[in-house]
Amino acid sequence: MTFGTRLFIFVCGVILFMTIFELVRRKRLREELSIVWLLAGLGLILSSFADQLIDPLAFGLGISYPPALAFIVVVLLLAFVMLYFSIVVSDLKSRNKELSQKMALMEFRLARLHKEE
Amino acid sequence: MNPYLIVIPAYNEEKNIAGVLRGLGEIDLPADILVVNDGSSDETSAICRREEIMVLDLPFNIGYGGAIQTGFLFARDFGYEFVITFDGDGQHSPDSVIALIDTMRREGADVVIGSRFIEGTYQMGVFRKMGVRLFSAITRFFTGTTFSDPTSGFQLLKRGIFSYLSQGDNYPLDYPDANMIIAMHKKRFKLAEAPVKMREKRGKSMHGGLRPVIYVIRMFLSIAVVLMRKEEKEP
Repeated sequence: MTFGTRLFIFVCGVILFMTIFELVRRKRLREELSIVWLLAGLGLILSSFADQLIDPLAFGLGISYPPALAFIVVVLLLAFVMLYFSIVVSDLKSRNKELSQKMALMEFRLARLHKEE
Repeated sequence: MNPYLIVIPAYNEEKNIAGVLRGLGEIDLPADILVVNDGSSDETSAICRREEIMVLDLPFNIGYGGAIQTGFLFARDFGYEFVITFDGDGQHSPDSVIALIDTMRREGADVVIGSRFIEGTYQMGVFRKMGVRLFSAITRFFTGTTFSDPTSGFQLLKRGIFSYLSQGDNYPLDYPDANMIIAMHKKRFKLAEAPVKMREKRGKSMHGGLRPVIYVIRMFLSIAVVLMRKEEKEP
């Protein structure tokens, strides 16, 4: 990896990390949801030095083109991130449904109370 | 208060709902009617209010199953003994309600599913027919009983069962089908089916394009989940 490439990846990682941190600070992103993204940013920062680790590991695993290993790791990480967010969305959908049902029932009761008055 | 509650889920049914309510008003049954307005953007809710029918307005569209479940919650909270689920598009025939009640009494069932195929000449497309037959066969395999119309939304349920279905994720958000019949059988509720009359669906249907294929895959998944889900301990 050339110094330029290393620097580029490092800067991208730092920007991602700082952006997430700033979003959490401004309360635009919830802390518990930011963790996976902060880890992704950290991973990107570290990956600028990862060739030292990836090259021997890839050759050890029989992968002749080491960047392929890096891609596999990134794809798997992103798949986990998406799975995590699908779980969050499912949970939110259930809560959303229950809230809307409760709201409709409470509105009905409230209208009935007003009528009785 | 009446022992029966007729729950009508309705999404943009301003053209049909008045006719449905009129038809139900003509049957001789000690029943209240509840329309669950599933986030309609038209006059559905206003029409029902003009007719002095009870309406629950969901703030946005949560789906057919979600709207029915809201009706179950209402029936549970207000102490009804029986719930009849009835479509808001004018497909179900009000006279058939009596057949559901007779079957429940005769068979001692907890839930009666109205089938349009026992009597009459209901017409439907080849693929829909294949889908209905497939899920009917699957239901028979797992419950040992024939349900000729597992997709039917015309049902009569006793308090014990609708109270159970009103909780959390016990009822699906979209279309309840063979998965629900298998789930209810697994919970040891007694199920039966009764002949009902249904009119052929008019206008747009959910069974177009790629949807039937996705529906069948989803239903298989849903049945698999029902079968694999562990029995929760009774409280």
